[in-house]
Amino acid sequence: MIGTIARKEILANLLSYKFYVVILLAAVLVGTSLFIMARDFKDRQADYGLIRPKPGEPIAVNPPNPLAVFAKGLDESMARSYEIGPTGITVRAGQKSGNAVFALFPTPDFLFIVRVVLSLVALLFGFDQISREKEGGTLRLMLANPASRGAVLLGKWLGNFISLAAPFLLVTGLGVAVLSLDPAIRFSPDQSLRLILILALALLYIALFLSLGMLVSALTRRASSSLVILLFAWALLVFVLPNLGTLAARQIVDVPSVRALSEKRQQIWTREILLRIRGQGDWASHVKAISAENDALEADYRLKFDRLVALSKNINRVSPVASFVYAATEIAGTGIGEEGALKKEVVRYKNRLIDRSLASPEGAGAGDPAFRYAYRPLDRVLAAGALFDIAWLAACGILFFALSYVAFVRYDVR
Amino acid sequence: MTDTPSILKAEGLSKRYEDGVLALDRLDLGVRPGEIYCLLGANGAGKTTTINLFLGFIPPTSGTCLINGIDITKDPLEAKKHVSFVSENVMLYGNFTARQNLDFFARLGGKTVLTKADYYQAMRRVSLQEKAFDQRVKNFSKGMRQKLGIAIAIVKDAPAVLLDEPTSGLDPKAAAEFLETMAEMRTEGKAVLMSTHDIFRAKEIGDRVGIMREGRLVMERTREELRHEDLNRIYIDYMESEGRAAA
Repeated sequence: MIGTIARKEILANLLSYKFYVVILLAAVLVGTSLFIMARDFKDRQADYGLIRPKPGEPIAVNPPNPLAVFAKGLDESMARSYEIGPTGITVRAGQKSGNAVFALFPTPDFLFIVRVVLSLVALLFGFDQISREKEGGTLRLMLANPASRGAVLLGKWLGNFISLAAPFLLVTGLGVAVLSLDPAIRFSPDQSLRLILILALALLYIALFLSLGMLVSALTRRASSSLVILLFAWALLVFVLPNLGTLAARQIVDVPSVRALSEKRQQIWTREILLRIRGQGDWASHVKAISAENDALEADYRLKFDRLVALSKNINRVSPVASFVYAATEIAGTGIGEEGALKKEVVRYKNRLIDRSLASPEGAGAGDPAFRYAYRPLDRVLAAGALFDIAWLAACGILFFALSYVAFVRYDVR
Repeated sequence: MTDTPSILKAEGLSKRYEDGVLALDRLDLGVRPGEIYCLLGANGAGKTTTINLFLGFIPPTSGTCLINGIDITKDPLEAKKHVSFVSENVMLYGNFTARQNLDFFARLGGKTVLTKADYYQAMRRVSLQEKAFDQRVKNFSKGMRQKLGIAIAIVKDAPAVLLDEPTSGLDPKAAAEFLETMAEMRTEGKAVLMSTHDIFRAKEIGDRVGIMREGRLVMERTREELRHEDLNRIYIDYMESEGRAAA
């Protein structure tokens, strides 16, 4: 019974012009996004080739991540130059996207297309699933047969999900195949696995919005009412709620500004220089003191910042859209957690360089190891929060579907 | 035939809606195999409510609705295997062809092994033009959709058939073809319950005719009895007595 209804939904979609318009739009957007982001990645990779530190240079630079083509996240920030000196770490602007328009609008990566466009497409597939059948009079005829309401709902969901997922996977698969032909973009086996996970996550996200569409459709008697409610909910979930958490968290957690942090570092530096001029202590002890105090300052700042980030993330998770972004960027290695891990690694690298330079009479030099950041393994990324976000996304989807079942069981089909 | 158990049976069936309106008041009714029962009555008399109760679309306030001995409220899915339904205005999937609609509803009704030839045969039986078989239903007239609705009921091949004002809005030719199909269903032993406003066709096709007023079955006549009585007069008398009662 579920299969019969699912097949009917797929056939209905294949015979509807709405399906082709929506799928064409999604295909063009996904294709364009992959093309633009691949260009952006190659530009940044070329920049990395230029600014890549020579052996012995006290600079840490992480190369751009090829998965940023799909989920750019904080990759631009992670690929900045970190200059290491006795006063601490100075962050240089590093690579910036060649396309200045990126600064004006959200980055049009695959994640953005899925988050904004495909969520809307999923709602457009779900918004009239029940109300249209009711308005069209086919719901009575359908339910006059031995088909349970649960089977009707599940069949409809399944048919529409397949109608959405199949072209989406086809278009994305083609895009990935074309990308893989480019020798400048190479995915390691680990990155390929992460990419598959991101695609699976995108399907979960689409499923969630389809369930939401069907829920509102089962709560309303007219497809037009359902559409208005869903557009409002979409704007709230995709744009408003994921930003509210950050604003609210700032009111609760007090984090010093970057400027204050810089001033404090300058004070430490000045104090130690004055002590040195007065002849108190040797140079090495001053450098170690500056480094240690800067590290403590950075650690304190990082602690408060992490608290702010954690609170923002938790508030933002009210919208499952935020969970989708967190999970996708963390899996891609461009998320907040990965950026934090990179920064900690830069601090460790700095300490190693300072220790070596103080231990060696020649100071730092050509023999120093170059900075190399190893991304956190996937299991650690999942355990650190991505799995929670995936589970939350799935739970929201199941909840929406369960509620739509409850609403449909009570639905007056007359 | 009177000893044969009813396929469609209402026992003390009542329905009071949330707004307090008593739409159906202790209805007792049975339709036996090979019998066409026509329910007449003004709008709001309770005809459609009766059909909605038989289909399990609404729960009864009291009483039972049995289809082939199965209580629709207790086992709706099993009960619906034994009944076909044709509504006043058959609404189908406009982008589907007649055959695709037929195939979908046949599968939904549990007929999963039917062939293209079976569908064509059912459509021929209801006098649907051959050229319409693979045309999209959105271009169909009301009469054509009604014929397709009956073809859906035919392929389901259930022992009971519920028809909610099926001849409303049909031209005389289409209505005559419809009555022929009903007569064939009777010959096949189907129990047909048809709500209608059409007194003349009810008299022509009905084996029994009941008149409903304010949710109650106020009159019932057999075909034999109606040979000696004027159904039109009886109906008008009942409606006028309702008007007098209301005044």
